[in-house]
This record gives sequence, C-alpha cells and structure tokens, in this order.
Amino acid sequence: MLNSVSNFRFLRFAMALTLMGALSACATPPSGDADARAAYDEANDPFEPANRMVFAANVMVDQLVLQPTAVTYRDIFPDNLKPPVENFITNLFMPLSFLHALLQGDMDRAEKAAARFFTALPTLLLANTFPDEPPVFEDAGQTLATWGFEEGPYIMLPLLGPSSVRDTLGTVTDFFIDPVGIVADNEVTIGRAVGNAVVTRSRNIDQVRDLQRTSLDYYAAVRSLHRQQRAATISNGADKPVQSAPTIGLDLDGPSEDEGKKETAATK
Amino acid sequence: MRLIAAFVLALAVATAAPAARADSHLDASTKFISDLANEAIETLTDKSNTSEERRDKFRKLFRDGFAVNGIARFVAGRYWRKAPDAERTEYLALFEDVIVNTWADRFSQYSGQKFEVKSAVDATPAKSKENVALIESLFFTIPTSPVRIEWRVASKGDLFKIVDVKLEGISMATTQRDEFNSVVSKSGRDLASLIDELRRRRDS
Repeated sequence: MLNSVSNFRFLRFAMALTLMGALSACATPPSGDADARAAYDEANDPFEPANRMVFAANVMVDQLVLQPTAVTYRDIFPDNLKPPVENFITNLFMPLSFLHALLQGDMDRAEKAAARFFTALPTLLLANTFPDEPPVFEDAGQTLATWGFEEGPYIMLPLLGPSSVRDTLGTVTDFFIDPVGIVADNEVTIGRAVGNAVVTRSRNIDQVRDLQRTSLDYYAAVRSLHRQQRAATISNGADKPVQSAPTIGLDLDGPSEDEGKKETAATK
Repeated sequence: MRLIAAFVLALAVATAAPAARADSHLDASTKFISDLANEAIETLTDKSNTSEERRDKFRKLFRDGFAVNGIARFVAGRYWRKAPDAERTEYLALFEDVIVNTWADRFSQYSGQKFEVKSAVDATPAKSKENVALIESLFFTIPTSPVRIEWRVASKGDLFKIVDVKLEGISMATTQRDEFNSVVSKSGRDLASLIDELRRRRDS
C-alpha cells in the first residue's frame, strides 16, 4: 500500500517534470517581423521544439521496430493470408465507426459500417463483405470536427504520431467509448492498433523512404501531409475544390516583369 | 408565331452558350491531361533511359505541362515579394532543378502503368479571366489499388497549364509551400536561405 502511494507520487512528480519541460520548450513567437509572425501563426505549432523532440524519438522507434516489422509483413508474410488479417483489423474498427457516424448524423455511413461488421460476423470478421466499397473510418476527432471544434495546435504524440489538440482529446475519448473495448478487453483494442500500424506502414514503406530522402524539412513535410490528410478524412472526400485549392493561375506564370516592378514600387 | 419561335430559339442559344463554353474547356483540359500522362508513362518509364536522359525528358514535360513559375512563386510564399530580382531568378532555376530530379527519379521505379480519367469538374473562380478545371484520374501502379490523382488545370484559349496536383487529396503545392515556409522561418527568413537549402539539395 505504502509502496503504491510512493509510486504514485513519483509518477506525478515525473509527469509534472515532463510537462514543465514541454512547456519551457514552447516556441517563442517572433516579435516585430510581420512576415515571420504570419508564418508562425500559419504553422499553428507553438509546441514545435517539444514536438520535434518527440518526432525524433518516434522516427527512431519507427526505424528500429515498426519499419522492419512492416517490411517483414510485406515481404515474408504469406500473401494469401494478408486479406483475412487486414479484413479482421478493418472490421474491428466498424463498431467505433458506426457510433461516430451516428454522432455525426451520417446515417448512410452508419449503415455501411454496421453492414460491413454484421455481414462479416459469420466469418469471424475475417471476410471483406463489400470488396467494391472503401470501409468507413470515423473517430472522435472527426466527430468533434463536424460538431465545429477547431483542430487547435499541432501535437506530436509519443508512439501514436501526429495529432492536434482536438484529435488528442478524440483519441482519449475513443479509448473509453469504443464498443470493442467495452465488450472485449483493452488488449483487443491495443492489438488492433498495433496491427493497424503495421499494415498501414507496410503499404507506404517506399513512399516514406522517398519523403525522408527528398524533403528539406521532414518534420514540416509530415505536419503538412498529416493536416491535409486529416482534413480530407473529416470531409469524407466532399471538400469544396474551389475554396480549398491554392490560388495559382496562369497570371502568375512567367517572370512577369511588369508585376515585379509594380511590387517593388509598392514596397518602396 | 414565327416571332415566338425566334424568341425561344434565341433564349435557348443564350442559355446553352455558356454551358457549351464551360464544357469545351473541360473536354480540352481532359485531353490535355491524358495526352500528357500517356506521354509521361511512355517516355519516362523506359528502362533503357539513363538517369540523365530521364531527367531531360521530364524537364521538357514539366515545362510544357506545368505553370512552373507560378507554382514556384506560390510555394515560396510571402518571401518572394521582398526578394531582389537576382535571387528570384536563381530560386526559379533551383526550384525547377530540384523538382525535376526528385520526380524523374520517382518515375524510374514505375513500369507498365495504366492511367484513366474519371471526371472533369469546372472550378473556375468567380471573376476569373481564365478557366480552371479539376480533372479526377486514377493511376494504376499496381492493378488492384490505384492512386487517386486530381489535376488542377488553368487554361486560356489554347494555353493549358497544370497549377496543382493532388495525390489522394493531398496538394503537392501546399505541402511544398508548408515545408519551404518552415525551412525559411528557421534560417534567414528570406528567399536567400531557401536558395542555400535548395542548392544543397540539388548538389547532394
């Protein structure tokens, strides 16, 4: 009893220490320069120094554990056993997707998630009963987003990877409300998460290697990719192309001399 | 009676005309994209190419098909405005080199691809002098799971240029701009620091 109390105290102390470390590692917003300030706001990453440290650790874990496992799975695991394994993991996500589709008021997707889960039950969740349709993935972060929560600053979670304030809240929420976690043990949801990480990673081994090799700032590239991917997931692919697209046009093409002069004249 | 018929005809022509014009730029943009993609698959995945040859061919396709300078300026973000002309010129050349090297090498890994256009949507912004089309396409690197590619094509008359490419919903221009912004804000906060970084990348 005494032992557990002192353990608890130690844990609290350690947590406070980590938190202080993280906070003192906050980026100081640049003052004076308007451009630098705008860039800082646009990145929306006030914890960047701490995030970069966590990211470096995550990359190390990836290189030492996750990537070798994913490569082994891709190259050595029998190809005909991959579909049942991957279907099982996907199907185990469907109850959570169903719950969140309901919470988002999306009956169509709720029905799709439920149908995929129940029709796969007779095969012990090993079958893909809708091979021509992509599975429905919904989570608490997406539900919060459809309810109007802003994503908030970027957060790099240890082991779990890129997230935001909203999505971190979502991850914690899902840990408690996931029907699979409630019916079965948490080991099942943890196993599902690990399996999902390996399968997902096995599909982008070459792309990640390529990005690591070619990016000027790997951390910033991942941050941008994650945000865009997340936005696409939340909108379920129904984004408004005109508004979300960058403003590049033919007007910008060519080293237009006139415009250059106009700009320099304006800045003078 | 004849007057009414003429009026109806005039009305039909008046309402149909803008639709026909919008359609024609979509059709032309679609053709532009599939021609370019097929040419890219044909010339770039040829295994007998040396790395140098492939880069030369890609550079030609890139210049012909993309609004290279427009994209370069967009990804340079706010630092473009304050940069002197000499830096701008150097940056544009370096940007093209780095993109060409990166993507030409990527193509070397592919072989025997299939490409198909799924749809074309008009995305011309209000009060724009040029047309914008979004061409949705599928690129089959392996037969079972294609990559979804969305091309943003700006056009005016006979001039067609790609201004952005989205892979699975991720904009290449936005990703590049975010990355460049981060590089610049960590170092000199001007275009010169980005130029240094790009030169290091190109010569590595």
